[in-house]
Amino acid sequence: MKKITVNCTVNHKPVSLEIDPNKRLLDMLREDLGLTSVKEGCSEGECGACTVIFNGEPVTTCCMLAGQADGADIITLEGVSEDGKPDVVQQAFMDAGAVQCGYCIPGMILSAEALLMKNDNPTKEDAMLAISGNLCRCTGYAKIVDAVLLAAERKRGETQA
Amino acid sequence: MKPFDFYAPTTVDEALALMHQYQDSVSVVAGGTDLVLEMNERKTTPAVVIDLKKIKELDYIREEDGKFKIGPMATHAEVAADERIKEKVHILHDATRQVGSPQIRNLGTLGGNISQSSVAGDGLAACVALNADVTIRSVRGSRTMNINDFLAGEGKDKRNIMAADELLTEISFPAPDVKHTATAFYKLAKRKSLAISVIGGCMVVSVDDNGVCTSASMRAGAMGRYPMRFATCEEHLIGKKLTHALMLETLPIMHDQVYEANRSRPSVFYKKESVQGVFRKLFVDILGQLGIEEVQE
Repeated sequence: MKKITVNCTVNHKPVSLEIDPNKRLLDMLREDLGLTSVKEGCSEGECGACTVIFNGEPVTTCCMLAGQADGADIITLEGVSEDGKPDVVQQAFMDAGAVQCGYCIPGMILSAEALLMKNDNPTKEDAMLAISGNLCRCTGYAKIVDAVLLAAERKRGETQA
Repeated sequence: MKPFDFYAPTTVDEALALMHQYQDSVSVVAGGTDLVLEMNERKTTPAVVIDLKKIKELDYIREEDGKFKIGPMATHAEVAADERIKEKVHILHDATRQVGSPQIRNLGTLGGNISQSSVAGDGLAACVALNADVTIRSVRGSRTMNINDFLAGEGKDKRNIMAADELLTEISFPAPDVKHTATAFYKLAKRKSLAISVIGGCMVVSVDDNGVCTSASMRAGAMGRYPMRFATCEEHLIGKKLTHALMLETLPIMHDQVYEANRSRPSVFYKKESVQGVFRKLFVDILGQLGIEEVQE
């Protein structure tokens, strides 16, 4: 097995790795780059815990090979916070009480971020659709949807954090 | 995952040369939403993996010469978001927008869905109902055929006629004339998101200026090895003035066909009834699109 070179941008910084190709993108992010916010849940594309923003769109990294990241722009939860402080979406999740055990939250926040990057005035249905690929077994989703809408409001500058 | 060599060619010709060189030891990754999972579970252990993501010439949606032409690497999300598809090809819009989850739709491709030829493939069923053509290429040349001729093969894992060194390179179908042709898809599944189709109902109907049905295609995915065709139901509609009452007359025929075809399966008792509910939804959608009748169900 020949090693491959993966050049990509991860959390706004260029990264170059020489790695074995028989790794999923999920494993590359966790093991080679230490980005452990990317969670392994179901390992079959169903739960959304391993979601990252890949070229502007949310994807499940358990369904991707590391080699497919070559040339891509990837954002994980580590790349969302600003100067170590929570960003508007993270703050909204805390304020809305949207977090219980927390395992789904990195993926949930990234799905929300991907929505708000395109649409800062989402309806409740837009928010529900955006997180429809992220399973949460604790909250029942109501407060997560509240958090996404609260983040959108704050992003538009209608209410202050 | 077992070790393999990884290639990410940037042109179709490069990919075909690699597929020809390595033949049966190759797995081709389009979106990866099936294959990467199979490889991770070691159900598939290719010696060589070819990723198609960098081949830009396979990722397009065009409307030209009265046809829609879709590159196999167009993702479900791209197809669902295309305004022309949304306006003129409801069946494909509604099939692709309900696949998996947002994340899966951003990865999975229409070409992958057709190449996998899964019994529950929604994009596949929609393309069959649209009577699409598929083009497959290898270093030996290119051939274009009707999707029904593409869907043939022996054994559980061999569901289409593609050889190991052949690649699906285009899906095409006539652009529907929306005044005379309506297309519809209805997914019956256990939940809204991340669900495999229990029934993927598909309908394409054309009428003339007098509202007489000139052609009909009625299919259902996840009802057998390939999307089930309700030929007797189609014949019942053709040549008659299309009405809701006429369409409802096909339901007993459908019931009997599903029962006969799936008798050995426990799910038949559910499916022979629910398929009628699925098609009742499709009838209302079709009649509304053609402006023939507003039906309240």
